[in-house]
Amino acid sequence: MRTLLVWLAGGLSLVGSSQAALASGWNMPVGVTDLSREIYNLHMVIFWICVVIGVAVFGVMFYSLIRHRHSKGAKAANFHENTTVEVIWTAVPLLILVGMAIPATATLQKIYDPSDAELDVMVTGQQWRWRYEYLGEDVAFNSNMSTPRAQIRGDEERGENYLLEVDEPLVLPINRKVRFLFTSDDVIHAWWVPDFAVKQDTIPGFISENWVRINEPGIYRGQCAELCGVDHAYMPIVVHAMEEDDFETWLVERQEMAAEEALGVDREWEMDELMERGEGVYGSICASCHQVEGQGSPPAFPALAGNEQMLADIDWHKDTIINGVSGTAMPSFRTTLNPVELAAVITYTRNAWGNDTGDAVQPAEIAERLER
Amino acid sequence: MWGVIKSVLAAFLGVQKEQQRREDFEKGNPMAFILVGIIMALLFVGLIALVATWAAG
Repeated sequence: MRTLLVWLAGGLSLVGSSQAALASGWNMPVGVTDLSREIYNLHMVIFWICVVIGVAVFGVMFYSLIRHRHSKGAKAANFHENTTVEVIWTAVPLLILVGMAIPATATLQKIYDPSDAELDVMVTGQQWRWRYEYLGEDVAFNSNMSTPRAQIRGDEERGENYLLEVDEPLVLPINRKVRFLFTSDDVIHAWWVPDFAVKQDTIPGFISENWVRINEPGIYRGQCAELCGVDHAYMPIVVHAMEEDDFETWLVERQEMAAEEALGVDREWEMDELMERGEGVYGSICASCHQVEGQGSPPAFPALAGNEQMLADIDWHKDTIINGVSGTAMPSFRTTLNPVELAAVITYTRNAWGNDTGDAVQPAEIAERLER
Repeated sequence: MWGVIKSVLAAFLGVQKEQQRREDFEKGNPMAFILVGIIMALLFVGLIALVATWAAG
């Protein structure tokens, strides 16, 4: 018996030191929402139940092994079947499981209840970026990874948020229930932000829901959590959570930008403006496959510099970018890019890296083509 | 009848006395066990559904 006590004490001190390990980042984060805290607490309760069971079972087992070992002349009790014992060892796990299921189900019910949301954000997974659309607010944008390729290749020192930084973060208000509607344009992705305890698959042709109510302003980072192709690692998530006032200001700013952009569709654009805008779009959207210098990586991703079909047939070029090419990795950019961005990137690819068609494609023409 | 129900309950739990098992296999009517088993499985499903509805409501 004394040996058993010594072991129990040893086990308890291990438990104490593991508390320190938990605080050091090995464990899941507590997060910044009430629900993430609840999920964390649930996880810890179940973890400790498992630890207690583990210590008890292995304690009894090792105690018995050592206390009743053969060299001490132990004789095996040779009996068969004891209904009472069997009923106990069936009923006890049953009660433990039901006991764990009750709090787990209560939490699940909260997770699955996106009702009464004050803001709806559509999250669309694309190879390989996220698209955010504030439903009913006329604000939508793409969120591309902004880590330079040079850092990935190892030519440059890695930045602080290597592979966890984007050009346009998702902006959300704190203290408001935000409902997410998840879907995908191509394959299955998963939108995962550990600090929100949200990890939701985005499935093409299907909309799933989840929600978040952030307690603290801050920048929260996540990643795609479903293997979705070669650049799976290069579609991070960054959420900028702001005070409600700041969020409203930001939203109005974005709405003004969108309105201005809509006006830009109708005016005549200069070659220089289109080229400048196009270079930006190309860098964030096209370059991951067709490469920064338009050299592509054949055969999967054809070169655009000196691409004869593209340069000879401007209609084909426009159609390819707007509608994609089925059966290949080239997606449709009909909804991802607006008419100005489409016109700019078409102009850019026709006039960069030695391509010099001189074509300045006008947004108005693209807008008309999109209507068809 | 009560004996059959008790045996089916024991089967649900997965624990049965050896003596009772022998008796059931020697004297019992298999159809009775199958029927009672199916009925009680349906009752069990209904019970779970009830509890779930109550918990969700």
